Amino acid sequence: MKAFGNIHPSVLMMYFLSVMLVSMFASNPIIQAEALFGGALFCLCIQKRGTALRDAGFYISLFLMVAVTNPLFSHNGKTPLFFLNGNPVTLEALLCGVSIAVMVIGVLLWCKCYSEIMTSDKFLYLFGRIIPKLSLVLSMALRFIPAYIRQSRRVSRAQKAMGLYSGKSISDRVRNRMRVLTAMISWSLENAMDVSASMKARGYGQKKRTDFSIFRFQRSDCALFAVCIVLLSVPLVGMAAGVTDFTYYPGISRIETSPAAVAVYAAFGALSVLPSVLEAKEAIIWKYYVSKI
Amino acid sequence: MKKWISGAIFCLLIPAVVLSGVYLFPARQYAFISLCVTVLSCLPVFIRFERKETGTKSLVLISAMTALSVLGRVLFTPIPGFKPVTAMVVITAMYFGAEAGFMTGSLSAVISNFYFGQGPWTPFQMFSWGLLGLIAGLISEPLKRNKLLLSLYAAFSGVLYSVIMDVWTVLWADGTFNITRYVAAIIAAAPFTVIYAVSNIIFLLLFSKPIGKILDRIKTKYGL
Repeated sequence: MKAFGNIHPSVLMMYFLSVMLVSMFASNPIIQAEALFGGALFCLCIQKRGTALRDAGFYISLFLMVAVTNPLFSHNGKTPLFFLNGNPVTLEALLCGVSIAVMVIGVLLWCKCYSEIMTSDKFLYLFGRIIPKLSLVLSMALRFIPAYIRQSRRVSRAQKAMGLYSGKSISDRVRNRMRVLTAMISWSLENAMDVSASMKARGYGQKKRTDFSIFRFQRSDCALFAVCIVLLSVPLVGMAAGVTDFTYYPGISRIETSPAAVAVYAAFGALSVLPSVLEAKEAIIWKYYVSKI
Repeated sequence: MKKWISGAIFCLLIPAVVLSGVYLFPARQYAFISLCVTVLSCLPVFIRFERKETGTKSLVLISAMTALSVLGRVLFTPIPGFKPVTAMVVITAMYFGAEAGFMTGSLSAVISNFYFGQGPWTPFQMFSWGLLGLIAGLISEPLKRNKLLLSLYAAFSGVLYSVIMDVWTVLWADGTFNITRYVAAIIAAAPFTVIYAVSNIIFLLLFSKPIGKILDRIKTKYGL
């Protein structure tokens, strides 16, 4: 189920950039927690069930690593918990480490969602017109990779059949890969020259390139775009005005609860759960129609 | 005139980014500013590449070399840190020039992260691999002639890559440039730095001759 993935790429790009921008650089713990929650929820929505548990293990160990090591490097703060090798381990540094860990994991989860949703075809569609040559190079390279992987399997099988470096030891593995890579290089460059001759024969560079895409900017995309802009502008204005400022050093500041700050939290919270809500809505509609059959 | 305008835009963009970072995200301004500045510093090369008349041959060559270095990264996945990406970038730069080196390096970072996961580290990888390619392109002639210089550059590029990526780690983990953490990160990453440097030396010494032969042959055969 990827209801969110069917939205127009430009809206998707805008959405991911704005969520990541705020969650990467906001220092307020509530905003960070919201980003983490939204990212985790959306990851759960679009991922296969099996991988979630394994990923959770990785993220928890990353969390501990970042959170626990921070007080070892940072001795700022005014409430020492205990002394280690004569250096104070402070409450502030520990909490700051927790906040950094929450931020890092939130951003990683959003990056994961981004990779899942913004496939390379959408990326190329968005940038094909602004940077035609670069995106041509990108799309050619992306197309070469699977072809090269196939070819390198063939080369590798042929070499194994000849009994070259097929052992399990590291030096054998490295040498095997190196032989495959050199063979691949001459093959791929000859191939590249054929591609370029063929492009020239078909008139590349004579006129503007035409392209085909199945993305249409619909009314729903427009609505979503507007919603995103509104929901993004509230936290940006709030942060610029310093409503949600939060510092750990020298002492932990109070979490701001003025109406303006609450508006910022609400807007960013809505922004970060937006894709999960869309997925859930789509799932409910689907279930409803299935039940009617 | 156009050159002046784009130069002026860059001169204004970087301070604008710095200022917006200071006002919008006071606590994490260093992470934000460094991210934006790395992106901005890649842009001039990209724009130049976009504007210039580039033949189909060099377009396809850059994409083929990029695909090859990504393939190298994929092929060597089982051995952590031991990757031929830098070597491929340096070789490309040696034989096709600084610009091709920069493009291959930075595009390899973007494309391989489609497989290994995009993240805030992508611009830093683009920048460091691109920079390594750019420098190699500028000193390509001595690199081709002198094996010792080539291995020195290989070791240097392993260290430079590691040092730049550690700056990223520290700015992200701390929000500020904490020098003790930076030293700790460099020490913690030292085994990897050594692997990077050694693998670069191995790959460059082993590959630069045979690949150089192939590339020279292609150059004469197809008149590049």
